[in-house]
Amino acid sequence: MSDFAIADTCFLIDWSLWKKRDIIFQIFKTIFVPEAILNEVKSEGVISWIAEALAQGKLSLFTETSEILEEARSLIERSRMTPGIRGVDLPEAICLVVGKRRGYMVLTENRGALMIVNLFEEFSNVKVWRALEVIAEAIRRGILQTPHIENIFMEYEVETKHRFPRVDLDNVIRKLREEAREVA
Amino acid sequence: MSVMSNKIEKMRILDLEAKEIRRREANWEFIEKQPPRLKAALKYYVETGDLYVASRIAGMTIEEFNILRIKANIPNVV
Repeated sequence: MSDFAIADTCFLIDWSLWKKRDIIFQIFKTIFVPEAILNEVKSEGVISWIAEALAQGKLSLFTETSEILEEARSLIERSRMTPGIRGVDLPEAICLVVGKRRGYMVLTENRGALMIVNLFEEFSNVKVWRALEVIAEAIRRGILQTPHIENIFMEYEVETKHRFPRVDLDNVIRKLREEAREVA
Repeated sequence: MSVMSNKIEKMRILDLEAKEIRRREANWEFIEKQPPRLKAALKYYVETGDLYVASRIAGMTIEEFNILRIKANIPNVV
């Protein structure tokens, strides 16, 4: 797994509402964020969290090159031309292209981005995580410890008004319990 | 059915389930009381779950729209 990740703005703003938000910095060495995020955040709590993380090198601003932009725009067009799939927009398209080119983990809550890595062959090696997978990894590594795994996910849902798809959540919890039993 | 069609169908079903949850849990009274632009943006979000485009429709930053989404009791289902 890469030490680096690139997060789209929607992921980070959702994630930033959780009181345990700092655990993400124990999973990734640096998380790159698009410059646009600075224009998308206004509240003191979130902007100061981002500024502190930038100062500590936990977050780093990502400036896209013209080549990345061009490939991202091609991906947007292709996603819109493929019947049945959710089109992606520029923020998540840039993250996917960077994930492909640099091997960074892509952090997004965009369903279109999840579809792209499932359906487009050249993006099939790109790793995409939602908050669900980030929290699962934190539990796996012992960063978050609790006898009641499901409570952590529930806490995230309540604090961020996020809802994990039940099937995905059940699968993740079952897998974490199996892994814990194997270790024991 | 091809592998790709199967995958698309599975994702389409997940999309529909997510939309149903957003529709069911949204505070429609709150949504209907909003000014036209915000109302349109919230309804767009209920239908698509796309925070970025919804915030552009609302003329807000993503964070501001995310707070409005929470006030409207619309879950982010992903």
